[in-house]
Amino acid sequence: MTGGNFTAAALARSGALRSADWRYRLAVGWREPTAAIGVLLALLFGYLIVVPIVTLLHDAIEVQFGDARRAGAEVGGWTLHYLERAMFSPVAGDLFWEPLRHTLAISAGAISFSLVVGGLLAWLLTRTDMLGRRWFATALIVPYMLPSWTFALAWRTIFKNRAVGGQPGWLESLGFTPPDWLAYGQVPITLILALHYTPFVILLFGNALRRFDSQLEDSARMLGAGPATVARRIVLPMMLPALMSATLLIFAKCLGEFGVSYVLGLPVNYDVLATSLYRSIASRQSGVAAVIAAAIMLIGVLSLLIDARLVRQARRFVTVGGKGAMNRRSGLGILGLPALALASFIFAISVALPLLTLVLSTIMRVPGDFSLANFTLDFWIGSNLETVALRSGLLLTPELWLAAWNTLRIVGIASICSGLCGLLVGYVVVRSPVRPMAMFLRQVTFFPYLVPGIAFAAAYLSLFAVPRGPIPALYGTAIILILALAADQMPFASRAGISAMMQLGKEPEEAAQIIGAGWLRRIVSVVVPIQKGALVAGILLPFISGIRGLSLFVILAVPSTDVLTTFSLRLLDYNYTQAANGVVLLICAISYVGTLAAQKLTRTNLAEGLGG
Amino acid sequence: MPDIVLRQVNKRYDRDGPDAVADLDLTIGDGEFMCLLGPSGCGKTTTLRLIAGLENLSGGEIAVGDEIVDSRSTGTFVPPERRGMGLVFQSYALWPHLTIEENVDFGLRLRRMPKPERRERVTRVMETLGIEPYRDRYPSQLSGGQQQRVALARMLAVEPRVLLLDEPLSNLDARLRLEMRAELKRIHSAFGTTIVFVTHDQWEAMTLATSIAVMHQGTLQQVGEPTDIYDRPANRFVAEFVGSPPINIVEVEGPETSPLVALARAFLETTRQGRGEIASIGIRPEHLHLLDPNEPVAGGAFTGPATLSALLPTGGSWIIELDVGGSPLFMSTNRPPVFRVGDSITFSVERDAVHHFDRNLSRATTTGAPKEKVSAGADTDTSPRAAK
Ligand SMILES: Nc1ncnc2c1ncn2[C@@H]1O[C@H](COP(=O)(O)OP(=O)(O)OP(=O)(O)O)[C@@H](O)[C@H]1O
Ligand SMILES: [Mg+2]
Repeated sequence: MTGGNFTAAALARSGALRSADWRYRLAVGWREPTAAIGVLLALLFGYLIVVPIVTLLHDAIEVQFGDARRAGAEVGGWTLHYLERAMFSPVAGDLFWEPLRHTLAISAGAISFSLVVGGLLAWLLTRTDMLGRRWFATALIVPYMLPSWTFALAWRTIFKNRAVGGQPGWLESLGFTPPDWLAYGQVPITLILALHYTPFVILLFGNALRRFDSQLEDSARMLGAGPATVARRIVLPMMLPALMSATLLIFAKCLGEFGVSYVLGLPVNYDVLATSLYRSIASRQSGVAAVIAAAIMLIGVLSLLIDARLVRQARRFVTVGGKGAMNRRSGLGILGLPALALASFIFAISVALPLLTLVLSTIMRVPGDFSLANFTLDFWIGSNLETVALRSGLLLTPELWLAAWNTLRIVGIASICSGLCGLLVGYVVVRSPVRPMAMFLRQVTFFPYLVPGIAFAAAYLSLFAVPRGPIPALYGTAIILILALAADQMPFASRAGISAMMQLGKEPEEAAQIIGAGWLRRIVSVVVPIQKGALVAGILLPFISGIRGLSLFVILAVPSTDVLTTFSLRLLDYNYTQAANGVVLLICAISYVGTLAAQKLTRTNLAEGLGG
Repeated sequence: MPDIVLRQVNKRYDRDGPDAVADLDLTIGDGEFMCLLGPSGCGKTTTLRLIAGLENLSGGEIAVGDEIVDSRSTGTFVPPERRGMGLVFQSYALWPHLTIEENVDFGLRLRRMPKPERRERVTRVMETLGIEPYRDRYPSQLSGGQQQRVALARMLAVEPRVLLLDEPLSNLDARLRLEMRAELKRIHSAFGTTIVFVTHDQWEAMTLATSIAVMHQGTLQQVGEPTDIYDRPANRFVAEFVGSPPINIVEVEGPETSPLVALARAFLETTRQGRGEIASIGIRPEHLHLLDPNEPVAGGAFTGPATLSALLPTGGSWIIELDVGGSPLFMSTNRPPVFRVGDSITFSVERDAVHHFDRNLSRATTTGAPKEKVSAGADTDTSPRAAK
């Protein structure tokens, strides 16, 4: 074969050999359903993830229905009209630049606040002997388990002024009218997001600090460095990766943040990118919406790419710390009291106060009147109330139960789908001999992570609003919500699946194979039973984050597919503050109990679990 | 079970990576107990997995009797579950969610064996391997050695015609190891099972195997009966790998002129009229003897003066380190030594027990054999069945 004798026979023989080689590869690679399942999954996620995004990007440069005259081109033709309108026209300021500026300002504020406070708390919790640090370690994480706009509602309950109709806020009723800047807009949004992401910083920093070897500090001290020098020259550089990570992740989350800005920004027309996108969609400017969504996506992708890069660079020195690694706690001495006060204060304003406010608000007839006669359970269980609509208490309202049922149904199905698909993706990625396909699956399922939920929802809207090929228009059905939610949860689900399959290794399955078990038998009797825990976690955790989710639903849900979150927002729009707050409290309760249950069941750490 | 034949088998894990197994030609006869022996990373596990069908070939073919089960050139591949072999993994790979009994029972259940029969066989196998008391425990509740025996029991229960074992005794203590060895031998003779056994413990290979295949960096060095491997190593690698304490090598080529080298060169001069192609010679420690100074009769190949530099008792036998003008020479003996450290002595090398290696380390001409096994052509190449 290697000789230069290219006779016809030799060529024929090499042809036969090559075809045999192909047959061999086929026999080996496609012998089992693994590869076929991989192809199906790749097609599925290609359609559920790649196609919507491509459609959205395409919408940004295609003339939409009704825009032919303005764009100066046929419907369906190419145009830069939307790009120009969103970026360079006289209204561009309102549509894009102003919201972008607001988004950046809020992010910067929220990041600095949560880094400082969260960093300090993380240090107090992990490296000092602060009183009650065990309790605080759990208590301070609670805000992260609750929907961020819970706090926005609480804020509004207290600070609401006459700019908005309906019942007045507590301060207003007590005779003090809060100024607009305090009641709405940048200040409260920043503060609330900061408090919401502080637990995230505590978790990230806490983990980094725990891994950090205090012998490193000690050796610097022995060389004569004072505590300040140690902090600046040793601790800070070592914490840098966690710092950068936290910064960029919080930024990416702020970018897609909708609920808080909607609740507190709308009354004073304070728009961020997410609410501007929502307005464009609501006013049916799908071309402009596509441009804004694409911009959000681009910023999101960029920031996470930067994060990935920095983390990779930093990994070189974070893993130092050998055998004798220890984690010594320093005594706080006289500073113990202020530390305790700080932790208690943060707990009060980020958990106790907001929740208490919400609870009280749902059992008070007139806001801000704390006399005993003013308290009532009517808003929960009353009937024949004197309101225009919603004439019975929340728990007796059929809409609530419909929304609850929808939530359970939609989020439940989506979580089961994504959990199962995640495990399957893990299986295919780890096992399939067809590497390129495994690679594609791994990346495509991770992609939604880079896309803020609201932009992702916009992409779904643009794909499924009209019938395409054999697929009917799905807008208004529960199916579109299930699909979008499942796809949105895939990054977490597939990561969990892949890491579970990696940990399992291939040998238990091979042992079954050797003994004569075919593919299906191995899946049913070996893989699934061993991965039971991972599967439960892969379903439960997305379920919890799905229940709290707002940005996907607010764009894709209609009244008949209301879930708890959108139901609460709708109530708020109609100024049924008590009912809206009540629904949010229910969500909080489900979310909190669910998180604890998931943690118990799977013995996982919150830090990994609540990525969503 | 017909023979298992590996022809020109190649395996590389990464397209541009090194060969994990290269051009392997090996026949495992029916009923054989073959040991794959070699240092860590030489491709033993890979070979086993190729035979089982858990890895795909990069080239060559594997046949069981006349049936080709794996071949790139004909495009055939019989999946592991239909090859009827049993494999005990180096890492046990027990199923953590099943009890010990269920682990052992799994294969029988797959074969739809009736329940009473299954129960009887599972119990018998577990009793044989001494894991019956743990039948209701889960694998994580067993020690490493117990887990290893469960892994073995799981494969034995289905009575495969070929049993592939990847270092199955490595985690057992000395006594258990001895018992398990005996058990394996018994299984081998009772069931006529063909066994391929991976180990890097040469002592284990020597005592268990009917034939040994020595591997090094993915290539087969030599196949033969244990005594063949030991007495007629195909090349210097095999000679050095097998034997403890290891064989003494004297480089006779090159500029070195220590007394030992001079002795060796002189020896070659008298027996072979010069070095010729020979680059080094090897002498097994047990073929060295100490001569009584009062009895200067030399029956050996060559003799020389040395100083006794160390004496290590190893329980019933002794390893003696000699210093021959600066070069060390190890000998072993099971006769209590009469000398002490520092004594000047004369050593002699047994006639016909010197191994010759040519310049190309990998190919050897072994002259001579130990006394009890004088072969016909003592001075010719024993033409081992080794690959290049
Ligand atoms: N899955 C894999 N991917 C890439 N390389 C591998 C893989 N498995 C083994 N190798 C490489 O192939 C070579 C042979 O490995 P193998 O496991 O067969 O060695 P071994 O002889 O069984 O060693 P040991 O005695 O340590 O078990 C090694 O160099 C190893 O690094
Ligand atoms: Mg091995």
